[in-house]
Amino acid sequence: MNRTVNVVRMQLVNRQTYIWVPLMVLAGSLVITLAIYALIRNAGAQDPLYGGGAQAPLWYFAVVGIQSLTLTFPFSQAMSVTRREFYLGTLLAAALTGAILSAVFVIGGFIENATDGWGMNGYFFYLPWIWEAGPLGAALFFFAVTMLFFVVGFWAATIYKRFGSVVLTSVLVGIAALLVLAMFIIGMLEAWGRVFGWIGAQGALGLGLWGLLFGAALAAISFVTLRRAVP
Amino acid sequence: MTSVIEVKNLTKRYHDTVAVDDVSFSIEKDTIYGLLGRNGAGKTTVMSILTAQNFATRGDVRVFGEHPYENARVLSRMCFVRESQKYPDDATPRHAFETARLFFPNWDQEFAERLIDDFQLPVKRRIKKLSRGQLSAVGVIIGLASRAEVTFFDEPYLGLDAVARQIFYDRLLEDYAEHPRTVILSSHLIDEVSNLIEKVLVIDRGRIIMDEDTDAVRDRATNIVGDSAAVDAFVAGREVIHRESLGHVSSATVLGALSAAERESLAAAGLDVAPVSLQQLIVRLTQHASGSAAGGAASGSSSSTADIDEGALR
Amino acid sequence: MIEEGRPLYVQIAESVGDAIVDGSLAEESQAPSTNELAAFYRINPATAAKGIAMLVDRGVLYKRRGIGMFVATGAREMLLAERRTAFAENFIEPLMNEARKLGLSADDLTRLIRERAAELPSNSTQTTTEGTLR
Repeated sequence: MNRTVNVVRMQLVNRQTYIWVPLMVLAGSLVITLAIYALIRNAGAQDPLYGGGAQAPLWYFAVVGIQSLTLTFPFSQAMSVTRREFYLGTLLAAALTGAILSAVFVIGGFIENATDGWGMNGYFFYLPWIWEAGPLGAALFFFAVTMLFFVVGFWAATIYKRFGSVVLTSVLVGIAALLVLAMFIIGMLEAWGRVFGWIGAQGALGLGLWGLLFGAALAAISFVTLRRAVP
Repeated sequence: MTSVIEVKNLTKRYHDTVAVDDVSFSIEKDTIYGLLGRNGAGKTTVMSILTAQNFATRGDVRVFGEHPYENARVLSRMCFVRESQKYPDDATPRHAFETARLFFPNWDQEFAERLIDDFQLPVKRRIKKLSRGQLSAVGVIIGLASRAEVTFFDEPYLGLDAVARQIFYDRLLEDYAEHPRTVILSSHLIDEVSNLIEKVLVIDRGRIIMDEDTDAVRDRATNIVGDSAAVDAFVAGREVIHRESLGHVSSATVLGALSAAERESLAAAGLDVAPVSLQQLIVRLTQHASGSAAGGAASGSSSSTADIDEGALR
Repeated sequence: MIEEGRPLYVQIAESVGDAIVDGSLAEESQAPSTNELAAFYRINPATAAKGIAMLVDRGVLYKRRGIGMFVATGAREMLLAERRTAFAENFIEPLMNEARKLGLSADDLTRLIRERAAELPSNSTQTTTEGTLR
């Protein structure tokens, strides 16, 4: 257990990667969003403004997920760490930083509420449908989405490491094909209304839980793949 | 002597190539081994499998009596930094050493600091910005300061100039004298390491062609030089692993130590006897083996071909 | 210093033997330790230990428990006797072979040796400052 904790420390040895850069990406996105809101307010629009800029650090986190495998995994092998210790420790490190990001989101949401949208009625963190179930629901949602992005990157990288780029591309193409097929079938059955209805009914909390489930499934597949991966 | 590593019938196959071919050997405790062979002979593959970084196709590997795969108890007592080791993005040597300190129970920070000084390594610079020699120094320092009971050095000197290599050999010997451990040093600079290694393991094309005490091999072969006819007469019936001629003069490398009587008769025939260094012996043996494998006349090559081959092994 | 083609531990034993024969390593004095030899010649300590062990086996060195290896009394005489026996094989024979190649008879050889001996200043033993491997 000690060695797994040390893997967390190993991942965080370079604090930039896991902590500072995501926060900087978030801060940058926030600043740009607020600047745009200010411009829009100046132009006279009155309605509340909601932006999607908060997703910016998520894409970076997917890259972190990829690199945690392509670069840190080989190094962990040189450090005589087992694949299980590496896997658990890395997910733990991701969860830690995911929790930090979620906390930042929730605090940001509180600030936005308190300041009526930065005094501009413009919202970056506080998107109503996410906050329907309250701050805890929002925190869970943010955490789930963050972890999901990380795990997708991690999962894709394990497939790449174990089977190579051809297999990875095939898998991704295969998944895309399945999605297109699913959309086609839904369209055929004219069931889009039901699909969207169901999604809406889940709410942010429900979607967050589905996200965690899906993330857990990908994580499990990653572990099985990692067990025979060569650094 | 107890053995810390036992390998039986190890085979590694990639699709249609056999990288390691039915290899068996054991590694004894607290001994420095040279794992020698050409590039691509299978040295790194074997070391990867021993440290569970790669997997055998067939065969059995035991380290400290256990399987190394996913075995933290065994793995934490070993250290293998490979020749082109990858490091986390934006990591500095300082980060790498801090991490090594977390995982190697015998890590000696003071020793690491002295080595950083010896190699003049800039520890705050990003690893991806280091020169090839500095990158090698990082690996060497991790291997040395880890004081792991079984330490592998995978061609550790790539990019290191002659001075830095000598520093590595010196520090290795000094530390080994104070804190004995099992060291496996893979190299193709055979003559440079021949005085350090107590045992020699030579791999050629996935097979072990030599597994002996270095001292036993030092007088394993002799060069006989002189008039071609006299040389031929002397070497008849012996195993000749190399032969070259220039005009009437021939040089033949024969296996087997010469007795005093034989040396007398050589001298009487006007032939000169020259020693064969470990590097020359291994070069000749691998050339000889490839010659037999190809079914061609590898022995009887002209002197220029021999030089080219020897250069390849350097 | 280190020769190719001969076991290292034999060369180590010879080097220590050289020092005893030329007097720089006195009888009952302490011999260099395994680690000292290994560091000086830049070789594996185990090899140096083998060389020392060889000398212990032959009675040239002995172990004082807790202190180290010491030169045995009579070691110098023993080594001189051994080396004189080997002298004929290692030096005389090559000399005679070379002489034969040049067409010099045994008498010619003897004459040359006497001439040279007369020229050299009369030291029967030369002390070298090095005591290194031959």
